Amino acid sequence: MPGWQAIYQQLKDKKFEIISVAQDTNGVKDAGPWITAAKPTYTALIDEKHLVSKLYNMVNVPTGVWINEAGKIVRPNEVAFVDDRFKTFTGLDSEPYLTALKDWVEKGEKSTYAMSEERLREKLNANDPDMILAAAEFGLGEYLYKGGHLPEAIPHFKEAQRLNPKSWNYKRQAYALSDAKRDYGTTFADEVQKSGGSKVYYQPPDFPQQPAAHPNP
Amino acid sequence: MNRVRLAACTLTFLFAAFLASTSARAKEVRVTIVYDDVATDVASNSTDAGQLWITTADLTRATRFELKPQGVCRDQLCFPVPKARANELVRKSSSATLFNLLAFAQLVQQPVTHDAALSTWYFGLRADQRQGLASLQAPDFTLPDMAGQPHSLSDFRGKKVLLVTWASW
Repeated sequence: MPGWQAIYQQLKDKKFEIISVAQDTNGVKDAGPWITAAKPTYTALIDEKHLVSKLYNMVNVPTGVWINEAGKIVRPNEVAFVDDRFKTFTGLDSEPYLTALKDWVEKGEKSTYAMSEERLREKLNANDPDMILAAAEFGLGEYLYKGGHLPEAIPHFKEAQRLNPKSWNYKRQAYALSDAKRDYGTTFADEVQKSGGSKVYYQPPDFPQQPAAHPNP
Repeated sequence: MNRVRLAACTLTFLFAAFLASTSARAKEVRVTIVYDDVATDVASNSTDAGQLWITTADLTRATRFELKPQGVCRDQLCFPVPKARANELVRKSSSATLFNLLAFAQLVQQPVTHDAALSTWYFGLRADQRQGLASLQAPDFTLPDMAGQPHSLSDFRGKKVLLVTWASW
């Protein structure tokens, strides 16, 4: 969050807004302290039901989407780091993303980082039936958990994870509400290892003329 | 002695009356419907596979949809009921008009999940709510900030927006 405040300071006078949305089932209780510490002047929202991830088919955090003045998507879901706090874990440098973002804020549709409609459709995965059902299993799991029924919620979280195995949100949020080892027989660290390690955990942004690729482990 | 027998008799009668009344309503079960992430408890008189019949009054209470001559409607949104499927969606009982919410979900391409132990049905996003992505129009949403103040994406028309998710976990 501190990184976003810095970039917001630089760009806010160019008809630009950041809307950050916390995907936290426990809402203000879990996300609040981070927001209080970051003192953002951009729009910082709380999303207990993971509604934004559901609407945009997002599978991880941080995920950024660029939306133009008319409310149209110009870059879809991609990892959006604006500082290097997690660089040792992810191997991702925030600089290319910031360069791209500034370029778009300056040039709008003429920016080379604004995507063609065809590429956008391909990336947004709008009608995958398993993803759609997974979101409903996750929603039911969250509802049951909030009603004090964690044991009943777990099979629905597992079903969401099975139907949409690409979603780290479904894994990590469920693990955070549980003893992951006991209830899911795994941990976040184990899952990252299984997926190929932390350096491939995030797909780097798909930019034209990608600067030197990150070395894989 | 007589008084005891009378009391026993009365109890037997009350018990029989109780049994009769429960068996008359044996098919009615309490279910929780979560629609647009809002939970409502309703009575359903049948939850056979593929069916969740509720009264049209409960339909409106749980989903804000109303059964009208032109279809199943909410605000500007109206889904006509195809004639061929009318029997799957609507039926009359002696005291009310009943509506099958699962058949409606199928009609509007809405995912539904179910927890049998807690009799809870969760209704996900309908096809019309997922349309945004295919049109490339950013789906709108309204969410609170830390103070509980609501903000919508559409409040920011005229500005470029970086929408970015994060989480504490």
